[in-house]
Amino acid sequence: MKLSQELIIYGQPVQSRLLIGSALYPSPEIMKQAILASESKIVTLSLKRQNPAEQSGAKIWQYIQDIVKESQGFLLPNTAGCKTAKEAVTLAKMSREIFQTDWIKLEVIGDDYNLQPDPIELLTATEQLLNDGFKVLPYCTDDLVICQRLYDLGCQVIMPWASPIGTGKGLMNPYNLETIRLRLPNATLILDAGIGKPSDACLAMEMGYDGVLLNSAVALADNPVLMAKAFAQAVTAGEQGYIAGMMQQRQTAHPSTPTLETPFWHQQG
Amino acid sequence: MKFFINGQAITIATESANIIIALQHYLTPEQHQQSFAVALNGNFIGKTDYQHTDVNQGDSIDLLFPIQGG
Repeated sequence: MKLSQELIIYGQPVQSRLLIGSALYPSPEIMKQAILASESKIVTLSLKRQNPAEQSGAKIWQYIQDIVKESQGFLLPNTAGCKTAKEAVTLAKMSREIFQTDWIKLEVIGDDYNLQPDPIELLTATEQLLNDGFKVLPYCTDDLVICQRLYDLGCQVIMPWASPIGTGKGLMNPYNLETIRLRLPNATLILDAGIGKPSDACLAMEMGYDGVLLNSAVALADNPVLMAKAFAQAVTAGEQGYIAGMMQQRQTAHPSTPTLETPFWHQQG
Repeated sequence: MKFFINGQAITIATESANIIIALQHYLTPEQHQQSFAVALNGNFIGKTDYQHTDVNQGDSIDLLFPIQGG
């Protein structure tokens, strides 16, 4: 599979393969510094009830708008917290009105313990939203059949998890993820959730994934700004490694240094 | 009539209202300038439909604002 020169989201070229969340940072200012340091061009955010008398939400929203303006990036609203297709569709429509984008990171959670997506509700919501003109970026498990169904419905972008949200466990099932890449060569695949360290992101890119979406790994680092830079470099390293074409593994050792004319060579016989 | 906004019960003297009137009982004029979106009984209501959408006894309005997210 040939990786496109840049990340393409429903026809929109994006100058970074790292997508980043805006939650859990120690402060809004650190959030801003970290997101800018990541060089990401896509920032995720959400909608929630809140007391309108509290100004904190409005300030965060202003920060995020400033970040996206400064980075010349894009907003990617999510449907976090939704458990049914109906809830997710309603929230997606509310997001489209506020954020003026038809991109939606579609999350429909089926299990509270590990925040695993509900595949049935996810497919239902995806179909409704695509029919309503949304450009759906569905968050799903690393199940090939679900990914295939989402692709068949018309999703150009699919986002299987590495592991449950916020766990930092990295790529639980590399075989599954490689299989999805192999079987859906024309889908834009973004690894979403569960990434804990830069090498996780690098590994996904080495598999030929088109991008990586993460939040906690940066926001919960001791130094989020430095970690954001590390992830930016890891994504680039993995991407370039994939493009460069990696050597095949071999079962036995092969000397790197030529053995011909080796001094003190032990001649047989 | 009693209805709910974000779970908070609101009682008004009239028997009917539209979304605009309902929100006036929850938001100050300054808060009204914030970015928000509305759902009535779980269904999205676009801003252009506020005027024409009735709020009835027992209805539930969700008023959502942008926040950080992953």
